[in-house]
Amino acid sequence: MARVLITGMGTLCPLGADTNSAFNAALAGLCAIRPAQPDIAKWLPQGLVAPAAAEPDLLLDKKYAAIDRATQLALVAVQEAMSEANFGALPEDSERVGVYAGIGFGGAQTVDTLYQRFYTSVANAANEKRNPVVMHPLSVPRMMANAPAAMVSMHYGLNGPSHTYSVACASSAVAIGEAFRAIRDGYLDAAVVIGTEAMLTPGSMLAWNALRVMAKPDVHDLSHSCRPFAKNRTGFVLGEGAGAIVLESEARAKARGQEVLGELCGYGCSSDANHLTAPSVVQQVRAMRQAIEEADLMPAQIQYLNAHGTATEVGDVVETQSIRTVFGAAAEKLMISSTKSMHGHLIGASGIVEFIISVMAMNRGAIPPTATLDVADPKCDLDYVPLTARFDCAINAVMSNSFAFGGSNVSLVARRYA
Amino acid sequence: MLKEIIKNYLVDSKSIPAETFDAQDLRVSDLGMDSLDMVEMLFEVEDRCGFQLSDPTRYPTMSFAEMIAAIEAEIREHNNGELPELSLEASK
Repeated sequence: MARVLITGMGTLCPLGADTNSAFNAALAGLCAIRPAQPDIAKWLPQGLVAPAAAEPDLLLDKKYAAIDRATQLALVAVQEAMSEANFGALPEDSERVGVYAGIGFGGAQTVDTLYQRFYTSVANAANEKRNPVVMHPLSVPRMMANAPAAMVSMHYGLNGPSHTYSVACASSAVAIGEAFRAIRDGYLDAAVVIGTEAMLTPGSMLAWNALRVMAKPDVHDLSHSCRPFAKNRTGFVLGEGAGAIVLESEARAKARGQEVLGELCGYGCSSDANHLTAPSVVQQVRAMRQAIEEADLMPAQIQYLNAHGTATEVGDVVETQSIRTVFGAAAEKLMISSTKSMHGHLIGASGIVEFIISVMAMNRGAIPPTATLDVADPKCDLDYVPLTARFDCAINAVMSNSFAFGGSNVSLVARRYA
Repeated sequence: MLKEIIKNYLVDSKSIPAETFDAQDLRVSDLGMDSLDMVEMLFEVEDRCGFQLSDPTRYPTMSFAEMIAAIEAEIREHNNGELPELSLEASK
C-alpha cells in the first residue's frame, strides 16, 4: 500500500484568497461574517453570510467568466494548489492522475439565476415580446454537480477518474478520503481534490432559513454571530468558498523531489441511518476511530482537532461527547477549535478548507481559535481554544471532522511526514 | 447589426480573428464550431430577439452570409416582417 502525501494546497474562502492569508486571518481570530447582500436582506433582514474574500472571476482567464461561481471558486483554489505542488498541465502520467470533488448544491447560482430569469420574463410578458423559455444553452453544463471536477480535469488534462461526491457538509472530506484510498491502493498515483460551494443566493438562503439552523445576529458584534461550543450559540452562518489539495503517492513525490506538506494517513466514514439532521455519538465515534486506527496512532498522539462545530444546540454537545469517547483521558490535552466561527459553514467546501487549516496548524505549530467562544457551555467542556490562537505548539498529527445532514460522518487524520 | 453581434461574440468568446470575417466567401464550417459552440452562438441572438431559433443543424452547411440571412428571415417572421433593433450588448 502506498503512503499518500500532501504536496499542494490552495483556497479561496471567506478568510482569504490564498492559504497563507486565510490561515493568518484565522490565527488573528478575524471573523468574515457580515449582513447578507440586498437581494437576500430584502426578504431576510437578519440574514448573515460569509462571502468569499475575492471575486473568483477576476482571478481567472476571461473564458471562465460565465461558468457557475462554484466552479470558478474551485479553479482559483486549484491554481494555488497546483502551483505549490509544482504540478503543471498535461502531466506525462495523466492517466494515473484523478480529480476528486465535493460539493453540496452543485450549480446553485446557475439554478437561481435561471429561475429568476424565467419568472421575471413571465411577469413581464405583457410588456415584452420575449418567450420565457429562452435560456443559455450551457445552463445544464454549468449547473451539473460535476462541473467543477470536469472543468479541472479538462483545464489540466487529467485522464484519471473525475468523481464528484455530494454528501452535504461532508462532501469534500469524502472526496479527500476516496482519493486517499485510490492512491493508497494503487489505482492512481496522484489526485487533485477539490471542495467548493457557492450558494449565497436568495433561493438557497430562503431554504436554509426555513430549516431554523441559521445564527441570529450578535447585537454587540455582528461578525461574531456564529459561536460554536458557546452557551449563547444560535446556529451557523452560511459561507462560500473552495479548497484544493494535491495528493501524491510517496514514490511519485519522491521521484520528482517535491516538497511534502504532510501525510494523509487516516480516513473513517460511517452513516447514522437514523435521522435527517440529528447527529449520533455512536457513528461519529466509529468514523473517528477508523481514521485513528488506519493512521496507526493512539488518540494521545493527535494534538489538534478541527471540529465540525456548527454552533447548533445539539450538534456541539454530541460532538463533545464523541470526542470524549474516542480520546478518553487524552481528550483533556487535545486542542480543538471550530474555525466555522470565522469562515462560516462552507458546506461542500468545509471539509477540505478545514483539513487545509489543520495541516497548516500542524506545520506552523499554531492553533486557530474558536474565535467567538466567550461564554463556555458546561456541556461542551473540552479545550476549544477560546478567543485567541496558540503558538509554539508541538503538533505531530491532526484530525478534521465533518458530519453531514443525512447522517454521514467523516474523519480525516494527517501527520508530519518523516 | 446581426452580423456585428455574431462576429463580436465569436471574436471575443471563441478567439476567432476579426479579419476572418472580411472574407466574402466565408463558410460557417470554416469557423471550426462544434454543435455546442453553435447553440452558444445562436443564444447571443435568441437572448436579444426573445425566442428560440429553429433547427441549429441547418447552419453548418451554409456560407456565413447565408446563415446571417436565414437568421434575419426567422427574426422577421416573428416580427411581422420587421427587423427590430437588437442591442450590441448582451443581457445575459
